[in-house]
Amino acid sequence: MSATTSTGKALTTKTTFSRETAVSIEIQADASIVWSLLTNAADFARWNSTVVSIEGDIALGQTIQLKSILDPQRIFKLKVKEVEANKKLVWGDAMGNRVYTLIKDDQGHTVFSMAEKIGGLMFPLFARFIPPFDASFEQFAADLKKEAESIMQAN
Amino acid sequence: MTTAHLNTEFEQIRGQLKSFILRITASVADAEDIVQDTYLKAAEKIDGFRGDSSLKTWLFTIASNLAKDNLRAKKRWTEDVTDICKTAAMSNQQFFQEAMHIRATSIQGDFEIKEHIAFCFTCIAKSLPLEQQICLLLKEVYDFKVSEIVQIIETTEAMVKYYLHTGRAKMINIFEGRCALINKEGTCHQCSELNGIFNPKQKFQEEAVKIDLVREAEKADKEHLFDLRMQILRGIDPFESGAAELQLHHLAHNRKVMESFLKKNEV
Repeated sequence: MSATTSTGKALTTKTTFSRETAVSIEIQADASIVWSLLTNAADFARWNSTVVSIEGDIALGQTIQLKSILDPQRIFKLKVKEVEANKKLVWGDAMGNRVYTLIKDDQGHTVFSMAEKIGGLMFPLFARFIPPFDASFEQFAADLKKEAESIMQAN
Repeated sequence: MTTAHLNTEFEQIRGQLKSFILRITASVADAEDIVQDTYLKAAEKIDGFRGDSSLKTWLFTIASNLAKDNLRAKKRWTEDVTDICKTAAMSNQQFFQEAMHIRATSIQGDFEIKEHIAFCFTCIAKSLPLEQQICLLLKEVYDFKVSEIVQIIETTEAMVKYYLHTGRAKMINIFEGRCALINKEGTCHQCSELNGIFNPKQKFQEEAVKIDLVREAEKADKEHLFDLRMQILRGIDPFESGAAELQLHHLAHNRKVMESFLKKNEV
């Protein structure tokens, strides 16, 4: 699934065994800036109000420890599974993957998309304990857009 | 472009180049070597210089590349460098004896608060990723334009802007959380402590308020305070000032302490 338009509005699709949330937003900044923001773990919490902290290196094969505002007491141990500079980043665990994609448009801007699918055979048992991601995804995309555009506009 | 042109330009910027490399490497010996090597490399390649940038930008490019080579295998310092080095200094009587000797005998042995502010920035900026540190110094202290920094560090304009923005944000954040000069809750008072040691008859607060950064600490926003800090750096040549020998001695101490600290804490 992917968000159909780049409005920054999240979409969630549910099935019995999975749930997927996606958001997409157009950012008026070079993809390299967006990419740098997404892959600098130590700097993440400064601009991203949905993240409490990320420890580790966001590099292929590395494991990062992420604390999110959705559940600040919990540390998510996530493996970085795919890295294609300025284009695609995937991290995740046994529950599911978070996929970030960047697409350059004709004007040199960047369409940022983020999707996360969680699920499996046991999903129906714990689904009700997992908070909705929509608001957090929209905030993530808005924060990224704001930070990347403010960097791009700087002299 | 001739060697004569190069020699003239090189002599004009030698001081800036040397202080720039010192602020990156925190080593007098490395700064001297890299400046020397910059000249040799430039002299060797001067026939190939086509004027795509100014000669100054070209020389800073060569020097930056040499500094990057020099630092490639070395670990970055940590944000709490001043705490680590203070603890080490407290148990090192020889350090204070040497410093007091410099203070008493050298014409470059003054202790000045603004000099220590610049010294402190040099140490803490070594906790930034190298590209961020270089970009920040080039833009904020040595007055290069973004387009010139693009040439010097050989990257895109977007990445230079990213390095500048994140480097600046990180330094503002560190100083806001630590520096007692700009924040009443600040935990670091080293400039006042050292002033008490080296200038025992001086009243720190009276001296400190002569500095814009301190005078405006309560009313100015953090961005402006950072600009004032940079103004201090721009006004100081760490090799030529009246406090140079004392501060370079202090820098050599910190470098030694940090190298040993990073080695001990190697992962």
